[in-house]
Amino acid sequence: MGRSSPLSPDEAGSRLRARFGSDVVDVAEQHGHTIATVTRERYHDVCRFMRDEPELACDYADFTSAVDWGEERGFELLTHLFSTVHHHNVRLKVAVPYDDPVVPTVSDLWPTCDWHERETAEMFGIRFQGHPTPVKLLLAEPFEGHPLRKSFPLMTREAKPWPGAVEGEEVEEE
Amino acid sequence: MGLITEKTPLPKLQPVKFILNWGRRYSLWVMNFGLACCAIEFIAASTSKNDFIRLGVIPTAHGPRQADLLVVAGTLTDKMAPALKRVYEQMPDPKYVISFGSCSNCGGPYWDSYSVTKGVDQIVPIDVYVPGCPPRPEALLHGIIELQNKIKDEDIEEKFGGKVQPAVS
Repeated sequence: MGRSSPLSPDEAGSRLRARFGSDVVDVAEQHGHTIATVTRERYHDVCRFMRDEPELACDYADFTSAVDWGEERGFELLTHLFSTVHHHNVRLKVAVPYDDPVVPTVSDLWPTCDWHERETAEMFGIRFQGHPTPVKLLLAEPFEGHPLRKSFPLMTREAKPWPGAVEGEEVEEE
Repeated sequence: MGLITEKTPLPKLQPVKFILNWGRRYSLWVMNFGLACCAIEFIAASTSKNDFIRLGVIPTAHGPRQADLLVVAGTLTDKMAPALKRVYEQMPDPKYVISFGSCSNCGGPYWDSYSVTKGVDQIVPIDVYVPGCPPRPEALLHGIIELQNKIKDEDIEEKFGGKVQPAVS
């Protein structure tokens, strides 16, 4: 184990760009973390590169989750990686179309991602291709629908609107 | 409850009924069905400062089969509900249930959640509801006293004789 030498977002981004070219759609910086947006096709390759390249050495996957941006923009898959060798954080983002929510699994690279991907799958309805156990993790087995999608109706709120709005606050139109 | 049948009219006699109910209400072996932060308040109520043992509630039966009182403390999810039902069914009659905290009363802050059971009374019959989020240990003591008052006037045959089925599926 060498001395801790975290890569700056610019350095990490340039290494990713050098290896994957235009498949790295965007590189940004947030709170000192590298945010790299990559294409769905090379997502697994990027992850393998992140793990195996000695300068990056992201040997720890913190979490996998997703964001629902609506039908037009689709989902955004997030995988947060951390290097226990260099102490840098890298967040990978993948745009996933709404009508074809399939991404390759990275649970073969980091076993941590196994459960995170199962949770993301049941909450957002994103299918992880190649996942060893593609079943629900937290929800009851008969549960239907994907509760963290924006289109998921909260039946209780259909009967009674949200009572917690502060006076003067704008009420969201349905 | 083998003692209480139609063939044994003894418990119907007022003094016998009094003594049976007196014994029952001061030796409640309790089972903590702790699901969330309310369970911590339950534990606080069982320790020396609040000490519900002085009310005759004996903490932690070894299992549901030794318990008389079930305290559902916390957020019950739809996935957990079958487990609660099963624990309740394992308890021998006469049995009592206290619903402790807003979540188990009605869903509480999770009233619009997709996964939380909105009220434990959908799963098991409840004797006493203790409100609060979470309720203080004193509130549980109050709830226990309310339950004991309820047991005092109880007609055990009417409740557990098998004639009236609790309206729970």
